[in-house]
Amino acid sequence: MTETMPATPETMIDMIKVSKRYPPNVTALTDVSLSVPKGELLFLTGMSGAGKTTLLKLIANMERPTSGLVEVSGRNIHKLKGKKLALQRRKIGMAYQDFKLLTEQTVAQNIAIAMEVAYRSPQNIRVAVRDLLGQLDLSDKHNSLTGDLSRGEQQRVALARAVANDPELLLIDEPTGNLDTTTTVRVMDLLRRHHLAGATLIIATHDQSIYQGSQHRTLEMTKGHLSILHEGARA
Amino acid sequence: MNFCFAIFRQLGRNLKQTWTAQLMTLITVSLSVLIFSFFYLIYCNMLTAGGRLDNDLRLLVYLEEEPGPEMREQLIRKINDFEKVEQVIFISPEEALARFETQLGDNSDLLADMPHDFLPPSMEITPLKNLRSLHQISLLADYLDSLPGATKVQYGREWVERFYTFTRLLSIIVILSGVLLVLTATLMVSYTIRLTILGREDEIEVLKLVGATNGYIRTPFLLEGVLQGFMGSALGLGALYLLFQWTLTHFAGPSILAIFSLTFIPMPVLGIIIGTAMTLLGIASHVSMRRSLRI
Repeated sequence: MTETMPATPETMIDMIKVSKRYPPNVTALTDVSLSVPKGELLFLTGMSGAGKTTLLKLIANMERPTSGLVEVSGRNIHKLKGKKLALQRRKIGMAYQDFKLLTEQTVAQNIAIAMEVAYRSPQNIRVAVRDLLGQLDLSDKHNSLTGDLSRGEQQRVALARAVANDPELLLIDEPTGNLDTTTTVRVMDLLRRHHLAGATLIIATHDQSIYQGSQHRTLEMTKGHLSILHEGARA
Repeated sequence: MNFCFAIFRQLGRNLKQTWTAQLMTLITVSLSVLIFSFFYLIYCNMLTAGGRLDNDLRLLVYLEEEPGPEMREQLIRKINDFEKVEQVIFISPEEALARFETQLGDNSDLLADMPHDFLPPSMEITPLKNLRSLHQISLLADYLDSLPGATKVQYGREWVERFYTFTRLLSIIVILSGVLLVLTATLMVSYTIRLTILGREDEIEVLKLVGATNGYIRTPFLLEGVLQGFMGSALGLGALYLLFQWTLTHFAGPSILAIFSLTFIPMPVLGIIIGTAMTLLGIASHVSMRRSLRI
């Protein structure tokens, strides 16, 4: 690619010439450079296997880049270890494409786990869980095992867990892939509320209805390369 | 929510998730502690009994003829030169007869027709309290036997040798059962921790991703081992105490056990056994966790 911006104190993410190759010889990203200011809502689109999920995983420090630099809030996230890494991860909420839910635990327990590791009080957690379930129309699923839920319901639980700690950075991978139109609106409303509250959002999606007509920057991944689809307003 | 609350809740989940393996570990640890402490209890009581017998230990040296005052002094000096002793008493044939009569009690009239000097003169040696190893006593006995005028040395050699051999055998059993305790308990705890980690692999991954610290993830596993050590050893020692009380109740009165005044393992030693079990199992869970838990 593609796009470079000078790093400023207000930059949330800086990626410089980041490449990622998986053995034996699969290239997921090639020399990707990207700068995301704090508070931006950014759409990331592209075909399946284009490298969207890999990009998000690199930002969340779930993967290490083969080369290049990834900084979040001015820190090289791949050099963080132990408690510093844990604290950094609490500031990042990620909703995974494969959900990463604990299927033998209830919906409430799955959402609460993110708040428990941040040592929030049980009372506080109970209130937050009920509030999130209400917003995502899952109030009646509070005590259901997540393994018993439909894909669409699981997707919303994963989203609720990602936003539970009001993180500074939200990385959302295919948030509406299994949802009907009404629920998609609900989900996007929830994400917009977090964006308006100051969170930086990167939403990776195939769903054109989400980003078409949007005023926000939209980038496209094509075979590991990043390009601008829509410049947007950067906020 | 504070750290401790979160850790204990995680610990509760671990125990609930693998309760069958936890129960097996608990039983194994309890049995190991029970076996070890059972032999240790016997060993301690043998040592106490041995100490009591040691207090009564005397070496009796029969002499050809009753020594005069000068020879008595010589003999005392020679004995003390070889090994310091607590006391040397010379017993004339008359005194020996008087002792014998006392021992016979109501049957002492059996000796009425016997000459007053039919028993040989002797000397009774009380070794010092620190001279209590079988080897030392044996050396002293051999020396006494070599003294001029000594005909025979008597101290219940066979009995003392058997007693010491048995005590030594018991100390080996205590050590072996201790090794057994260490091996079985640590292996079982390592296995259980690995099982728990495997069972919670997905949850551990999610915990890491949502920002749990290593301490948050690891401490419950460590506590699991320590708790197993505490509960296992407490149960094992509790079972031993019940067994001990049962033995006292059922074998009270005139029996072989009446020779020994049985005592239970002292409190400080109980504390050491429990503390050691907790430490050992804590270390075992730590090692197992370091191997199985990649965080």
